[in-house]
Amino acid sequence: MNKYFPFLLAFTFAIIVTGCSKDNMEPAPEKIPFQKMAEGFATGAGIKVELYAKKAFTTGYNSIYLALYDSLSGKPLENAQIHLQPMMDMGTMKHSSPVEQPAGNADNKLFPAAAVFTMPSGEMGRWTLNVHISLHGKQGQAALPVVVTAPAVARLKSFVSKADNAKFIVAYIQPEAPKVGVNDLEIAVYKAKNMMEFPADSSLTISLTPEMPTMGHGSPNNAAPVHTAQGHYKGKANFTMTGLWYLHLGFKAGSAMADETTYFEVNF
Amino acid sequence: MKSVTLILISLLPAGIAAAQVSVKEDSLRTVVLREVNVSARQKTQQQHLFQFFRANRSATSEDVLSRLPEISMVRRGNYGMEPVIRSYNSGQVNLLLDGMRIHGACTDKMDPASIYIEPANLQSIEVRTTGGSLLNGSSLGGSINMKLAEASCHGSCCETGATFSGSSNTGFHSASRAFFQSLNLNYTTQKWGIAATGTYRKAGNYRDGSGHRVQFSQYEKVNYSLHGKFLLNYNTYLKVDLLADDGWNIGYAALPMDVGYANARIGAVSLVQENIPGGWRKIEAKLYANQVKHYMDDTHRPDVPMHMDMPGKSRTSGFYLEGTKSIGQRQSLTLRADASLTRLVASMTMYQEGQSPMYMLTWPDNRQRQTGVAAQYALQLDSLTQLQISARADYADFGLTTAMGKDQLAVFGYDNSQAHFFIPSVSAQLSRKLHRNLKATASLGFNGRTPTASELYGFYLFNQFDMHDYIGNPGLQQETAQQAELSLTWRKSKWKVQASGYVSRVNHYIMGVYDHSLSMMTIGARGVKRYQNLDYAILTGGEGSVMYQPFPKTQVVSVLKYAYAQNKEGDPLPMIAPLRNITNIRQHLGKLWLQGEMETAAVQRHVSEAANERETGSFQLFHFRLGYNGQLNNIPWQLNGGVENIFDAYYREHLDWGNIGRPGRNFFLQFGISF
Repeated sequence: MNKYFPFLLAFTFAIIVTGCSKDNMEPAPEKIPFQKMAEGFATGAGIKVELYAKKAFTTGYNSIYLALYDSLSGKPLENAQIHLQPMMDMGTMKHSSPVEQPAGNADNKLFPAAAVFTMPSGEMGRWTLNVHISLHGKQGQAALPVVVTAPAVARLKSFVSKADNAKFIVAYIQPEAPKVGVNDLEIAVYKAKNMMEFPADSSLTISLTPEMPTMGHGSPNNAAPVHTAQGHYKGKANFTMTGLWYLHLGFKAGSAMADETTYFEVNF
Repeated sequence: MKSVTLILISLLPAGIAAAQVSVKEDSLRTVVLREVNVSARQKTQQQHLFQFFRANRSATSEDVLSRLPEISMVRRGNYGMEPVIRSYNSGQVNLLLDGMRIHGACTDKMDPASIYIEPANLQSIEVRTTGGSLLNGSSLGGSINMKLAEASCHGSCCETGATFSGSSNTGFHSASRAFFQSLNLNYTTQKWGIAATGTYRKAGNYRDGSGHRVQFSQYEKVNYSLHGKFLLNYNTYLKVDLLADDGWNIGYAALPMDVGYANARIGAVSLVQENIPGGWRKIEAKLYANQVKHYMDDTHRPDVPMHMDMPGKSRTSGFYLEGTKSIGQRQSLTLRADASLTRLVASMTMYQEGQSPMYMLTWPDNRQRQTGVAAQYALQLDSLTQLQISARADYADFGLTTAMGKDQLAVFGYDNSQAHFFIPSVSAQLSRKLHRNLKATASLGFNGRTPTASELYGFYLFNQFDMHDYIGNPGLQQETAQQAELSLTWRKSKWKVQASGYVSRVNHYIMGVYDHSLSMMTIGARGVKRYQNLDYAILTGGEGSVMYQPFPKTQVVSVLKYAYAQNKEGDPLPMIAPLRNITNIRQHLGKLWLQGEMETAAVQRHVSEAANERETGSFQLFHFRLGYNGQLNNIPWQLNGGVENIFDAYYREHLDWGNIGRPGRNFFLQFGISF
């Protein structure tokens, strides 16, 4: 046995090497740099829908990417009218959540969009992402089941405006990888109009106060988030050291204080 | 600027090689002088004082320094005192070790370079004020150059064969139950010599004048060095200095943290050539490198809100080339070129259970490059008058070296963290014998200094003195100063008297200014100050010293100093020592000498409100010292003893941080033998 062992080893090695190189020789398949989260068929439109994301879905703001394929030819589709509706089925009731609709044209064969899941999946209920597609007059809807978990640190907050009792949902987007120094801050704000409609809100004036709760100090030169587009507000948050920080947010509707209790935790 | 450095480096070996060739051609026998002290002409009075105060063999470098007329010490604990010259703080003074730059690794200035030196390593301390210090570097206050003891070799002298010598000292101080032990060994041959020194000190918490033990005033350290000298030919020798100092468990009673360890590693190689044909008296080239590691520690402190680690590290390397040339009988010229590179990093980590550690850079990783050229020209105008002109040009640049360092500073909106400084300095000094015994020296100067790394980049450096966090400012301008000094020296057989007065206007004076928009980081801090250039400050004062020998065996030495400083608004500057006098009488009785000493300090009411400074009361202290030099079987031995603060006065000096009393009555005893 022993004297054949080197040959065996060499053989195995050769197989691995040639195997690998063979793979590399073939034309690269449609490579999507994200995880596939779900797939389904929009039967009326004859379209296969694949759902991608950078990481598993959590309560809060999730960037998502849809890939559409002609179910007959398997060819990727680069434009379509898409309407997303996340739906939480809690048995006795159903509700939707804020969502950012994809544009009609794909970017590198993917349609970027975003979904803001407002609660985790579990015994309370299950999430489905409904994808309604119309293309060349044909319409269809795919129902993609998705699983949403609660993140370690809350990334979604809501408040009831003291100014007009309207309910707002605030989602944390950035900084994803916080560092000591100047960080881009981005949040998205939605108004909860009813159980199904959550329009992006651009009406609020936001203030920002970072705080290190353990030490009781803040940081200088922060820039309060201001509205850019689609309910997104961008600013700068400065961290002077690593550790646990609170990003305190104050919301004003006009000159009236709407809320000053909301904060996000950043721990790095 | 890089090219200048390169040229200087490439000149170095060329100059040496050329000099060596010319020596070979010289067939005349030359006598090598063992010690040539070039600076002796300028401050002879000081050399006398240094020798006088060093006679107390148990004294530390700090004890000796604090008695020199131009120097005051900032005290934060029983150890690691920071020397200031004429109220110029450590950033405005060049503290050099045998011409080498060395940068403490502590953001809280717990480790001035002087703590890494023991008197056993010291040959002399050169204190130069303003104009006289331009050869050593750009500074406002002057320079303290601690000259290292050298190994000796017989050279061409009559002695032959190898000799071995040494000495050992043991001492004890009662107030801090301190013990020290030192050993010096020398081995000398005709061609080479080595000297090794080792010192160990251990001090407990000291007892103050009210009888209380001052917590966290202990320290422990070892210091060891190796000096080698190798004669390459009659005129040329190679010198190697290696020095290490390890301190640990060092308490800083006036600060919220102590020091776990402070280590320094210092090394230098020098090539010295003397009596070179062509008028060059001496040429010295030195290459050096040093590293300091410093670790602050709060694990022994009760009631710390949160455990904190604060390590710091500094690395410096550099070289200098210095030559002195005589031009005829009446003129001499000294030229010097030097360059150095310092890298600093210090950080802080706080630990809170269940959270990520809180980490930041207190000295964001940074480096400082410095290149300078200097010249000193002396002209004997006539038998009574001497003129000396010094000039220096320094280029220094500072920069942050890591992305994290840059990111951190960007928090304050500083996008450009680079800072460049070009500093020209010039000074002229005229000495004239006004009378057979009286000499007057007047000098005028213009000089400058770069901001320090803390002033440029400090990141929430907590200052316990005024309870503020300090933030650096990379946009700082250099400080410049116009200075004038007048000094009178009177010498008669029994008298050596020197009196000096000075005034200087410091422009763009760098100081921390309260910034209400910033929130402090240190728990308990009163606020945040950011370094700013203020319009100007005026620093003035004077000092005098008397050495009087009424009888051949009796010496009276008295030192008096006074300083006054204010800013443009007329507000006093912080950390200005009050009027102070130290008077000694030493009587030799054969092999025994006795010494009485009186220290007096006036009250200081001229205090800085902006720095939350307190008034300090006056005090008067009396010390008694004695020494005996004996001999037993051809082995000389000596005994020193005495009592300091005889009346157990409770006192603090104005430059002492915190409301902490200085040591009370202290009995000390020291025994040494030489062999």
